[in-house]
Amino acid sequence: MTTIASSAAISAPRRARRYMDRKSLVPLLLFIPPALILFVVLVVLPMIDAASFSFFDWTGYGPMTDFVGLDNYDDVLSHRHFGTAVRNSLLVIAVSLLVQLPLAMWVSLALVEKRWSVNVIRTLFFLPYMLAEIAAGLIWKFVYDGNYGIIPTVGDAIGMEMPFVLGDKFWVMPAIMLVIVWKYFGFHMMIYIAGLQSIPSEVIEAARLDGVKKWQIVRHIKLPMIWGSIVISVFFSIIGALQLFDLVIPLSNGGPNNSSHTIVTFLYQFGILRMKLGFGGAVSVMLFIACVVITVIYRRLLFSREVD
Amino acid sequence: MKKLALAAMLSVAAIFPAAAQEVVDWMHIASIPEEVALMEAAVAEYEAANPDVKINMQFLENEAFKAKLTTLLQSDAAPDIFYSWGGGVLTEQAAAGVLRPVEDLVDPAVAEALGSGGMSAFTRDGHIYGLPQQVSEVVLWYNKALFEQAGVDPASLETWEGFLAAIQTFKDAGITPLAVGAKDKWPAHFWWSKLVVRLAGQDAFDAARKGENGGFAAEPFVKAGEMFLELAALEPFQEGFLAASYGDASGYFGDGKAAMHLMGDWDYGAMKDNSANKQGIPDDQLGILPFPTIEGGAGDPTDTLGGINGWLFHKNASDAAVKFMEWYTSAEVGARFGNAGFFIPIAAGAADGMTNPFKVQIAQSINNAHWHAIFFDQELGPQVGGVVNDISAELAGNALSAEEAAELVEEAAADIR
Repeated sequence: MTTIASSAAISAPRRARRYMDRKSLVPLLLFIPPALILFVVLVVLPMIDAASFSFFDWTGYGPMTDFVGLDNYDDVLSHRHFGTAVRNSLLVIAVSLLVQLPLAMWVSLALVEKRWSVNVIRTLFFLPYMLAEIAAGLIWKFVYDGNYGIIPTVGDAIGMEMPFVLGDKFWVMPAIMLVIVWKYFGFHMMIYIAGLQSIPSEVIEAARLDGVKKWQIVRHIKLPMIWGSIVISVFFSIIGALQLFDLVIPLSNGGPNNSSHTIVTFLYQFGILRMKLGFGGAVSVMLFIACVVITVIYRRLLFSREVD
Repeated sequence: MKKLALAAMLSVAAIFPAAAQEVVDWMHIASIPEEVALMEAAVAEYEAANPDVKINMQFLENEAFKAKLTTLLQSDAAPDIFYSWGGGVLTEQAAAGVLRPVEDLVDPAVAEALGSGGMSAFTRDGHIYGLPQQVSEVVLWYNKALFEQAGVDPASLETWEGFLAAIQTFKDAGITPLAVGAKDKWPAHFWWSKLVVRLAGQDAFDAARKGENGGFAAEPFVKAGEMFLELAALEPFQEGFLAASYGDASGYFGDGKAAMHLMGDWDYGAMKDNSANKQGIPDDQLGILPFPTIEGGAGDPTDTLGGINGWLFHKNASDAAVKFMEWYTSAEVGARFGNAGFFIPIAAGAADGMTNPFKVQIAQSINNAHWHAIFFDQELGPQVGGVVNDISAELAGNALSAEEAAELVEEAAADIR
């Protein structure tokens, strides 16, 4: 009993001394509060707020009074378009990982050299990422437009009848995913290029002198050495795909017939626009939990490997 | 010295009215430049006559307005006076206490001029929350030139059978029979609503709302879905109609590419504005057809579908805002918009001087209506109305059965009953 107490008594001041060290205390008091306050006000409180909506039947007007327990969650799960929204979001994740990232990697391997012409091409690929999502959506809406767009014009030129892609249940998701890949692969390309440029050129040269083939250099030297960049970009891809919203709204608005909703456009359409904020709150809580679970698993699986 | 005194006087004169000025924030959805210009002129005129009032005009796009309003009205940035379709949304707003009851303030003469029907559309539980300004009706606009080209007699569209036959004739002639903006969904819901007005009529609609006789899953509502599917099976809409917004469809009709467009009377101006050449269909080529009658339908043939739109007062609205609206909704101001063909003013006498033949015809049909049904997506409130819009777009795309459609509306309606 006494030993435990005394050991605690010894370690506590020691720990305290470490934190009370004037050198670290000043920056701590100076720099932590602003970030902490912003985080609490802009992230934690709204999160708690949204989570609390989800237990009420609430139109958004006036105080929340009608407590309904888990009814909203039940309504979401049994909603006839929720499955479509989840499937579409998973589809976007799959395309991001299987098409967008390999494409970004391939392009970055080709464009890693520091030359004037390469720089121009790189900037061209990066431009879509700098464009606002709504603007990009509107531009592509015109491209796809079945009456005045580029697709029917091309179709006319080669004498082929082109579908109204955004009005077609089959074509609408491929069309949206093309825009996603076009818009975001430049961002991932930049992450990879930054990683590739940090590889010391001696390593590559040494390998080359040893007669290692080009593909083998990529496979055994370049990819392992930019593993950290890949882990980050995969993570951005997944979370970005789950939160996809502002490209879809101008392109298809979730249509035709609610076939191109993502989880977030579903939330907006059936929760916010229908004045069912409880329902919307339930969707957002579920999405949040999904994001947290993915983050935790991902950290366990991949960020730890980065440390090794 | 003289100069200095003059400057001082001027600056006092400049500051003083500004300090005493009452600012009224206004929010509307008008987007047609000529209509906005008329509004601005009216506001400028009022400001000149009432130097102590400043109207701060703001405009939002239709869909954005509807989406933002809930949050906006509960924030510090809430407009004092804003456009409204009445209906279920107004009921929610009134119940939440974000509106100002003005029954003690409104001049009885003004209320009388606006008519009891119009006033009751903006009254909840005995409290007046706004003033009506205009009535609207959904009609079947048609392009005379295309009818001639296909050899279709407009009179043959009086019945549903005749209407379907005409659709087929247009298809055979290679002309798109109908334009619809199904991406926005509400344009498609006019078809379902008109069929319900014809098949169910006022009594069955009111009964369904209360949940009697199976509510919205009752026979006339299923029948409306079946007839909508019957129409959709002919593929009467323009290519890509599911991706077309209201503006796209309106422009498509205005460009003379579709024979008919089931749309509100406002499309007269919007169709011109949305067309490629900004002229639209010339007046002598444009016509209005009543919605086809359906044999055995319980609705009265004179029944109309449309809206009674007006302005609501936010709870922070000043007396000056109400006074301004009394003037703005008056016959004198309304007639200007009526004559220009933008809307049909509701104030007594305002429509008398209207010269636009289409608006005159529509005003008469509303006056003679046994039942002027309010847009279902507004009347039923956002929760049920949203589902009505959903199923309508799906029926137009032939993606849902009539029974399922009726069931879904009933489900949503039962939820809030």
